[in-house]
Amino acid sequence: MNTTTRTTRGGKYLTFALGKEGYGLEILKVREIIGIMDITVVPRVPSHVKGVINLRGQVISVIDLRSKFAMPEVDRTEETCIIVVETSCTNGRKRSTGLIVDKVSEVLSITDENIEDAPGFGSSVDTQFILGMGKIGAAVKILLNISKVLGADDEVPAALAA
Amino acid sequence: MRRPFSKRPRKKPNVQQITVPTQTRRMNSISEQIEQLSASLISADASDLQILADAHARFEQLAQCVKESGTSSEAMVGCVDRMADSARTMLEQLILMEVDDTAQQLSKVMKTLADLQQLMTTGALPDALVSTDTVQKAFSDSQPKVDVASHEQKSLAKVFADDELELLREFITESSGHLESAEQQMLILEEDPTNTEALSCLFRAFHTIKGVAGFLDLQQIQALAHVTESLMDKARNGQLQLTGTAGDLVMRSIDIGKALVGCLDVAASTRSPLAVLSQVDPLVEKIEGFLAGKQGAAASEATSLPASLEVINVVKDAPKLEINSEVAAADQSAGNEAKPQGDGTVKVATDRLDRLIDMVGELVIANSMVAQDLGPSSKENVRLSRHLGHLGKIVRELQDLSMSLRMVQVQQVFTKMKRLARDTSRKMMKDVELILSGSETELDRNVVEALADPLMHMVRNSIDHGIETPDVRVKAGKKSTGRVELKAFHKGGSINIEITDDGKGLNKERILKKAIEAGIVAPDAVLPDSEIYKLIFAAGLSTADKVTDISGRGVGMDVVKQNIEKLRGRVDISSTPGVGSIFTIRLPLTLAVIDGLVVKVGQHKYIVPINSIEQSLRPTPDMLSTVNGRGELVSVRGALLPLLRLHDLFGVEPTTQDPTKSLVVIVHENDRRACLLVDELLGQEQVVIKNLGEGIGDVRGISGGAVLGDGNVSLIVDVPGLFDVYSNQLTFN
Repeated sequence: MNTTTRTTRGGKYLTFALGKEGYGLEILKVREIIGIMDITVVPRVPSHVKGVINLRGQVISVIDLRSKFAMPEVDRTEETCIIVVETSCTNGRKRSTGLIVDKVSEVLSITDENIEDAPGFGSSVDTQFILGMGKIGAAVKILLNISKVLGADDEVPAALAA
Repeated sequence: MRRPFSKRPRKKPNVQQITVPTQTRRMNSISEQIEQLSASLISADASDLQILADAHARFEQLAQCVKESGTSSEAMVGCVDRMADSARTMLEQLILMEVDDTAQQLSKVMKTLADLQQLMTTGALPDALVSTDTVQKAFSDSQPKVDVASHEQKSLAKVFADDELELLREFITESSGHLESAEQQMLILEEDPTNTEALSCLFRAFHTIKGVAGFLDLQQIQALAHVTESLMDKARNGQLQLTGTAGDLVMRSIDIGKALVGCLDVAASTRSPLAVLSQVDPLVEKIEGFLAGKQGAAASEATSLPASLEVINVVKDAPKLEINSEVAAADQSAGNEAKPQGDGTVKVATDRLDRLIDMVGELVIANSMVAQDLGPSSKENVRLSRHLGHLGKIVRELQDLSMSLRMVQVQQVFTKMKRLARDTSRKMMKDVELILSGSETELDRNVVEALADPLMHMVRNSIDHGIETPDVRVKAGKKSTGRVELKAFHKGGSINIEITDDGKGLNKERILKKAIEAGIVAPDAVLPDSEIYKLIFAAGLSTADKVTDISGRGVGMDVVKQNIEKLRGRVDISSTPGVGSIFTIRLPLTLAVIDGLVVKVGQHKYIVPINSIEQSLRPTPDMLSTVNGRGELVSVRGALLPLLRLHDLFGVEPTTQDPTKSLVVIVHENDRRACLLVDELLGQEQVVIKNLGEGIGDVRGISGGAVLGDGNVSLIVDVPGLFDVYSNQLTFN
């Protein structure tokens, strides 16, 4: 990672949990947090894409971060939430996507010196989704590069549609 | 000469009145004017002559205003003048299509405008513009009188009087119509130089323009029309044919004529002096030279008229129509109020229109929500349900109306193709005639706009790769003139646009070979012809020489496919080697709303577009049969139709697997028909189609989502896509 990304990494992060792991999302990418609702299943899409929901007239896709990260799926609870994030596509348009997470924790300010690069895990963990590791006291939050996480989806449906 | 505006700066023709005649009567500030100008330029397209011509006039007024405001220093006035002048020169080049990189030219104009804005807000001269001569010139012009007078000399060509305006507007409308039709006739003539009817039509057009222009003392237009008419007169007498150089000259004078009318329009609507185009005289001379027999000289220069233009305004020698400008200025507000409103149409910004249509869409949803809430128990309240029915009718009508607001004829796109075909075939040294039919077919404006690009690619491809060169054609026993037909028509709730050529057809062996080489198709795949042809849309096969050196058809085809699919349309190709190819674009009538049948499969609701449904029925056991134990068929009144189990295709759990206990919906798409197996029919609803969101992209068999009355999203079944999914399943299982 080069120095420019290093200097811009500090800031506010919305933290959430998937199982025991803590994750963080850049707060500027988050549009809103909504409770879990009925999701319309869409056929013939990758398994982590759970379907679509109606967000005040706009149809947005919802992905399950657990299955995106190949973690076992769990039953939905009262705490299960959909975080709606807004990212830019390659064609310049804004795209909203819902992320199903186990629980939303809080918004944390993480300073730059408390963010470290993701260590290499060998081939078992793909670190390109990770912006860095944020240290909050003894706890570690995995800060996600959400554009990368979602961007990787693009190729999959295209391949299916072909 | 009088100084009409210098003492009454506030009475100057107001630029805002160009677009918002009734809103603001007085020009508030120069900066506001700059803002308006930049707003109109930002949205401008280099091909939009009206906006460009408008901007042209505004720059002039801007310079004038700065001069009259009296608050600016001399240096500043000089600088503004210079900048406005250079912006206008650039605009003029744009209008006359004399620059290749129009986008860059436009951005140069924008840059000049930004400099102007900076200049006006900060009062500081941008460094680049403080060239010594400007400043010195501005300073040395210390006597304002001299300055204004010289400006007058430049710009005061002609201002139109009130009583002329009506005539003038009529002339503008009429002559643009004439020029449009002249262009059409010219294209016809080039195909068939002996077409006397087209020739007379062309002659009449220019003759009328000449006559009225003479009456209104519009000298440039008159001169241009006059020589062009002489050219046609010779053609009528059989002395020459309007092809080749002569044709180019006529085309050129049509283009310049359009630009002139554009200037006239601006002058009429802003009451500003009429701009004089410097290109007219050279062209007139060229045509005269051509007529005088200097064909060689004219031919070499016909298409390359001088690109440099300096004079924009010159003093016209006969300002007899110039009226007392103070009276004109005083009458200005009254005159504007009484301004005739053309043919009773209102120009509306498209984003407003789109918002209206969106809102109507939401209204439709809200209406069906209420209707659903009331439910079948409405018998208790007859009045309410009757009123609701009434409301529904109004909503429906409102919706139809709002959709029709956006409908335009495909003609505008088709006409462009005509010109494109002419230019392309010239460039490729091929004889091609483009036949248009059904150009009166109406389509959603957004669709028509989005259609321009793909159509352009396809027509160009047809001419470039489909049609052979004349000698090859003759050898193959065809007419030497190739034929490309562009046809638009309604078919089964969608609009079809067909591009047919009688060229050599697609070479499917080579396409397949290339596709296998590119790894798009498995080497052992067996594909039906139509699938092979569709490979030309694949991005990896986009360059012509990759597929084959002779019949590429790859250029831009992936763009075509993407654009068409974005419109929820599809492209089908059929081709016969040596005989030609047919490209069929199928487009939905509207983008926003469809009538759908809501069906239920297990827990899931889907919407099947009504226009693809034939009927629905519950099959009896004797109607069902299977092929190889796999492909299921339903016999409906003698026809054997495949049974598509929606739950299988969509991977959901149905209530029952037994077709005799559930329902089938017979759907069709062109000549393909099939039965969709569903659990239940829930009823008909009008739904607003929404994109499934960027994250999901295209899903075969699903054309989008719709928010139903209960607030949940339902998926809309894409019947043709579903057929493809089904046939793929059969092939690959």
